[in-house]
Amino acid sequence: MAPDISADIPVGISDEELVSRFPGYPLDHDTAARYRGWLDRVMLIDRCATCGTWHEPPGPICPKCWSTDIVPTPIAGTGTIHLAIFLHQGPPVEGVDYSTPYPVVVVELDEQPSLRVSSTVVGADNADIVIGQRVHLDWIERRGAPMPVFRLDDVSSSPVAS
Amino acid sequence: MSVAASSRNTAKDQVAIASAATTGFTAANTNRSQLSYAAEACVAALRAAGLTAADVDGIIGSANPSAPDLQQALGIPAVTYFANPPIPFINQLAAAVGAVHSGLCNVALVYHASYRLPWNTGSAWKDPFRRGGMSGGATAAVPESVFGSPGYTAWASRYLHEFGGSREDFGLVAINDRSNAARNPGAALREPLTMEGYLAARMIRYPLCMLDMDVAVDGGDAFVITTTERARDMPLEPVLINAVTLGMTGTPSETQTPSLREHGQQIVVESLKARGDFWIDDCDVYFPYDGFSIITLNWFENAGYCGPGEAGDFLRKHWDAASNRVLINGRVPVNPHGGSLSEGASQGSGHVREAVHQLQGSAGERQVAGAKRAIVTAGGFFFNAQGATLRTQD
Repeated sequence: MAPDISADIPVGISDEELVSRFPGYPLDHDTAARYRGWLDRVMLIDRCATCGTWHEPPGPICPKCWSTDIVPTPIAGTGTIHLAIFLHQGPPVEGVDYSTPYPVVVVELDEQPSLRVSSTVVGADNADIVIGQRVHLDWIERRGAPMPVFRLDDVSSSPVAS
Repeated sequence: MSVAASSRNTAKDQVAIASAATTGFTAANTNRSQLSYAAEACVAALRAAGLTAADVDGIIGSANPSAPDLQQALGIPAVTYFANPPIPFINQLAAAVGAVHSGLCNVALVYHASYRLPWNTGSAWKDPFRRGGMSGGATAAVPESVFGSPGYTAWASRYLHEFGGSREDFGLVAINDRSNAARNPGAALREPLTMEGYLAARMIRYPLCMLDMDVAVDGGDAFVITTTERARDMPLEPVLINAVTLGMTGTPSETQTPSLREHGQQIVVESLKARGDFWIDDCDVYFPYDGFSIITLNWFENAGYCGPGEAGDFLRKHWDAASNRVLINGRVPVNPHGGSLSEGASQGSGHVREAVHQLQGSAGERQVAGAKRAIVTAGGFFFNAQGATLRTQD
């Protein structure tokens, strides 16, 4: 039986309030810690305390060693764009205007090969948002809650192969 | 040894598709329920097999209608097995093979009804009866996610990055489907499509446009699946299920899938080659899934028709200018019914149904002369790569 890892995490706000702060997000007992981290502008990725493997999405057990000692752990926030698309239409969300195609990227984090998260890129021309470009984490506000996004590193540097 | 390399397949050729039927597909909100399409197709499939409701003892379909609703709608007196596995349709086929071969049931009625709903077309909102229905799939509610439909677009971006192809490679898949659909009276989209028309189509999520994505339709397909022995006593030529497989890697999500060369499709191909008796050299008609055009290009490469990144060139090399479509080696058509991009988004049921009709010799003006072997490679990359090899008795 997996231990209740949520007991190890600073609660801050109730589960009810957490759900109300992140409507539409996949909140459950495995993912709640991530979104509590967002409220503190800390990006947490699950890491196994036994073997050190990072895994994504959040889960109750380490897929590598089956330890249930999983610790949502802050990441450096640096990585490389692995997939990049541009939405000409999409779900209605405040602050998102599809009249300029909206970038969505999957970023491979520096912590571990193939460890990837998706978000958007802010503060960049779409032409500069290309696979291979280095990025770093930043935060914006949506519906009164922080949301992690990426910014391009120095765009004058040419993209690296990945 | 890879688990996919196991050749154990005790059901090989022991279970057969006795009949297949369709309602045809419409790319508009019709004044009919999803249940009505499933029911119409099921009745047609049962009649084609010479059966009545009392002959059915298994019901297997996609999520909506549920097996109990379908049973009640058709007045099927009793069943000993029923299931509603998720789409794509090889899930239903695999469940039927397992249930019939093991004796959980003897005559399975197998169906999938496609229906225009808010998750696959915004236009579904115009019909108030469709606003509550979200079954059959899901796309993320926030734009920053690539789960669901955007995942294929995301990996299409990687395909272009790694191999340096162009959107015209995707366009060839759409044009092939459209040219084939012209011969299919049940197809939703039958107007000719040119490359210029493809490139001018509305962009949805760059790099995929509207014509790279399956067309949301109303319609249904149904099948009677039973033992090969029993199917031989039915009116139509039995189509033997030679091998069927569902493949998945250890990280089967849109973001964590290792690469374009390591996802569910490679497992499917290895498994079908190990468990089945034939592969592409002996295939008379090929059905690579085309819910998104990028999936089809990957299937050609992973099935072994060409190398990684070479599918566009392969299609150009095997393009039949006279019919404006692919004919592999001048002989083998690809998705001759028009596929998901032009017949309609059937999540693979259309591919299997057309394979059955080709092998039964009832595909009308689409008929491949003497077709005896068909390969269906359904679904995408992640949790939904699947396939089957189908054959006639001889």
